[in-house]
Amino acid sequence: MKFRKSVAGVAAAALALVVTGCAGGSGGDASGPVEIEYWSFTGIDATAKAEEFEAANPEFKVKITEVGSSAETAQAVTAAIASGKVPDLVLIQDDDLPKLIANPGNFIDLNTLGAEDIAGDYYDWTWESATAEDGAQLGVPTDTGGLAYAYRTDLFAAAGLPTDPAEVAALWPTWEDFLAVGEQYTEATGKPFIDSAANSVFRATSNQVTEQYYDEDGEVVYDSNPQIRDAYDLALDAASSGISAKLGAFSEGWSAGIANGAFAVMVAPSWMLGVIKSNAPDGAGQWNITTIPGVGGNWGGSHLLIPKGAEHPEAAWEFIKANQSPEAQLQLFLDHGNFPAATAAVDSPELADQVDPYFSDSQTGRVLGQSVAALKPFPIGPETGAIGGEFTNALNRVDIEGTTDAEDSWDDAVSSIKNSIGD
Amino acid sequence: MTTAAPNREEEVLETAEAMTVSPESPRRRRSPLGRVRWWVYALLSLAVVLCAFPLYWMLVVATAGNAAAHQIPPQLIPGDQGARIAELVFTTVPFIQSLGNSIIVATSVGVGTAVLCSLAGYAFAKIEFRGRNVLFIIVVLTMTVPMQLAIIPQYMVISAIDWVDTLQALIVPGLANAFGIFWMRQHISSTISDELIQAAKLDGAGTWQIFWRIVFPVVRPAAFVLGLLNFVSTWNDFLWPFIVLKSPELFTVQLAIRQLQNSRAIDLGLAMAGSFLATLPLLIVFFFVGRRLVGGIMDGAFKG
Amino acid sequence: MSITIERPARPDRAFRPASTRRARMRARWEGTSPYVYIAPFFVIFAIFGLLPLLYNFVISLFDWNPIGEQTFIGFDNFTRLFADPRFWNATVNTLGIFVLSTVPQLLLALGLAHLLNHARLKAANFFRMSMLVPYITSVAATTIVFAQLFDRDYGMLNWLLSFIGIDPIAWVDDRFGSWVVVSTMVAWRWFGYNTLLYLAALQAIPRDMYEAAEVDGAGAWHQFRFLTIPSLRPVIIFTVITSTIGGLQIFTEPLLLNPAAPLTCGSSRQCQTLVLFLYEQGFGQYAFGYGAAIGVVLFLIIVVIAGFNFLISTRVRGGRS
Repeated sequence: MKFRKSVAGVAAAALALVVTGCAGGSGGDASGPVEIEYWSFTGIDATAKAEEFEAANPEFKVKITEVGSSAETAQAVTAAIASGKVPDLVLIQDDDLPKLIANPGNFIDLNTLGAEDIAGDYYDWTWESATAEDGAQLGVPTDTGGLAYAYRTDLFAAAGLPTDPAEVAALWPTWEDFLAVGEQYTEATGKPFIDSAANSVFRATSNQVTEQYYDEDGEVVYDSNPQIRDAYDLALDAASSGISAKLGAFSEGWSAGIANGAFAVMVAPSWMLGVIKSNAPDGAGQWNITTIPGVGGNWGGSHLLIPKGAEHPEAAWEFIKANQSPEAQLQLFLDHGNFPAATAAVDSPELADQVDPYFSDSQTGRVLGQSVAALKPFPIGPETGAIGGEFTNALNRVDIEGTTDAEDSWDDAVSSIKNSIGD
Repeated sequence: MTTAAPNREEEVLETAEAMTVSPESPRRRRSPLGRVRWWVYALLSLAVVLCAFPLYWMLVVATAGNAAAHQIPPQLIPGDQGARIAELVFTTVPFIQSLGNSIIVATSVGVGTAVLCSLAGYAFAKIEFRGRNVLFIIVVLTMTVPMQLAIIPQYMVISAIDWVDTLQALIVPGLANAFGIFWMRQHISSTISDELIQAAKLDGAGTWQIFWRIVFPVVRPAAFVLGLLNFVSTWNDFLWPFIVLKSPELFTVQLAIRQLQNSRAIDLGLAMAGSFLATLPLLIVFFFVGRRLVGGIMDGAFKG
Repeated sequence: MSITIERPARPDRAFRPASTRRARMRARWEGTSPYVYIAPFFVIFAIFGLLPLLYNFVISLFDWNPIGEQTFIGFDNFTRLFADPRFWNATVNTLGIFVLSTVPQLLLALGLAHLLNHARLKAANFFRMSMLVPYITSVAATTIVFAQLFDRDYGMLNWLLSFIGIDPIAWVDDRFGSWVVVSTMVAWRWFGYNTLLYLAALQAIPRDMYEAAEVDGAGAWHQFRFLTIPSLRPVIIFTVITSTIGGLQIFTEPLLLNPAAPLTCGSSRQCQTLVLFLYEQGFGQYAFGYGAAIGVVLFLIIVVIAGFNFLISTRVRGGRS
């Protein structure tokens, strides 16, 4: 009967669907190259580096996925860990790192693979930011951000300020001096000095403390820590003094502002240099970089981790060693601007001599190297990112959106944080 | 001029109804006659311009780069970077391959939902079975679950049956389309009369025959529309493919164009070019079947 | 009244079962066949539609970190939620954006449908097709475009407004402004679709009814109120319900609107909708239990409001019983 044929047809189609489903799945071959599954984010040329590794080590094959932005990569890794099917190697940016390693059981202790041997190659503070409480080493640092200021030489000149990096750095040995220079600039030109207080002041000041939001014992201290209070108040002063262009980082207006000179100074960790170049492709020679008040600081950086349950952890470890050796990190810097986490790379003469034509032939490597060398480490915890984010939002409420007054801002920030992470 | 009386409404309706029962005449064009005034065209043209302008703007930024979006007065005509940027799109990401993947996934979902939702809609609309109403309410209730909430449990299911990083993981969950059932049930119940089904049953037709010979041909335009709408939404879906797929050769077109954005440095021109090129196939499809889509939405829509 | 279909010609004998045993098998098949026909859908639905819904009800009772600890805490998530100002903020945003994006949009669709409903309209198909173009563009690309058009310093809208002497408005930074941006995007995407639905229903109203009404002396407004609206009742109900369900779940537009603070849609959470808040808690804070609780509350809100809208829509006098 006709309807039986039709039903059979539907059933066959359903069966085919199921069968094709079962046919998929990773083929494990007995011999042949070991395949390392590696999730990275976009924008760091990870594929090229993976191919280099494959060429040098034919017994390995790297299946690399550039997942998306750093936040998206962290989300994908979270979903993978929750479901139990994990890749061999993941790249996690430092903003996302604390929450992921809050439960160390999710990642393999690299000490069991030989991490102690290479621990000395990297800066202590970035190495330890991926160390669990029990001493397990969960990740290897791939790069750092450092901190510097990028400034428009033409706008400085028009306002009667010096343009040479050393002279500019001498203008602001302290943060109060920095604000004073800003007010001077704004008075002379009538235009804003910085993009926003949260981005270009608080980011830097909150990173220069010896104790930030957590203390040595892992207790949350953001509201009682005078260093943070001072950093916040300073940023409030910047917001209220009229030197801010009121442009939120990465917003439309901000990107346009970089190209159009809406502000003269902005915070510049190593990765920001690339952002500036791509937002202002015609601005070569208009920018230069110099140190921030207090010199030391860091914003950014990433780590490579091996999730627990990965199929080929040893192979992944080989990749890490090759890919993140001091020489490799130095090369990455020279090619792409990712600032190394390996001390040998940072101290190397190639890095110190490197000049960037876009930034008026200034020695960007040396400037950033100074900031990294001068950094005083502080403990971080799982909610570091959330707390920092709420402080930033609170500042933006005063600076950009004008919905809160400066006097109420500290209480506003603290209550937002309490709301967010509990008491 | 007569004044409005409380039962005016009934009077109007009764008179009208008395004049209109006509089983022989199919749908007629019913619309106010007379010349169409100029301002009607003006308003409609304005609507068209507003519809098309964002797409046009996408083209402008794609061909002129970042600069177009960051100047006053804004640039209004396309720039000359088009060819260069388009080439960048094709060389930076496996664009053609991702187009193919998107076509496979979107077509499967489109066809699948058209058939499955018609079947299920028919069962809900015309077949009496126990728990029908309760089941239907549950179906409608699941429409209230936002996709973002469903992601983690869905991903865990996919993972358990080993469908991670496969195309079928993009297709099969999309077939259980609550909206589709809602849509088809409404259509079927408003366009197919019970008497018709009864008559066919009396003549000895089985459920399947009734569906296939009588119901489906009538609601085919509505099913086609549903399939097309699902094709479009599957084509544009980003979040779920993003979570599921990890092999670049399986990426759909939305994932591919996301790759164009540098992790921190967004080249707007490139991103817009990617978006525009990803929309282009839809526009082409739309150009060919648009008429049928419009007709289908209108043919299959609710009357009475 | 339903549209009648031409009855098929009297079927031939092939439909008649040949024997009683076959008749019995037939009868059994007929009894079970509804379930067979909906089985494929329901299997898929149960796994991918129903399961997430139930799952979320369950984990809303937990403090649930997907990669960490998961502890049962009963209704604590809910008590915390109702005391959380961010929740009320998101609710206000969601309702405001919903109203702003739905009411003008549906009225506009109705008006446009009326305009399109002219027998002698030239290029009718062109107009109709162009109104669907917004629907096929991807939300992500659209959001970037609108963020640029509404930008404070370089956006086209402020540039046009400057010609009539209005100072640049910070659309995205301001609460109501950000609502306007999001609502505009949503309305732009959906109005063509709703216009076509209304147009179809309008075209199904027999011309004779209008003529009869004219004869009886009913003016244009009367015709509209007592003839058009009742005839449109089923489609109005449909569009109101689907717009409600969709409008209360707006997510992608707020997410991509404010790159400075994506998960909160602005530093003051000025356009953070409930789904975005849910997403922020789940994927930003790794507090999936809390996110699921938001989902449960959202579910209830949608059910209540959709039900309410349904009741209002059915109050519109039906054209035919």
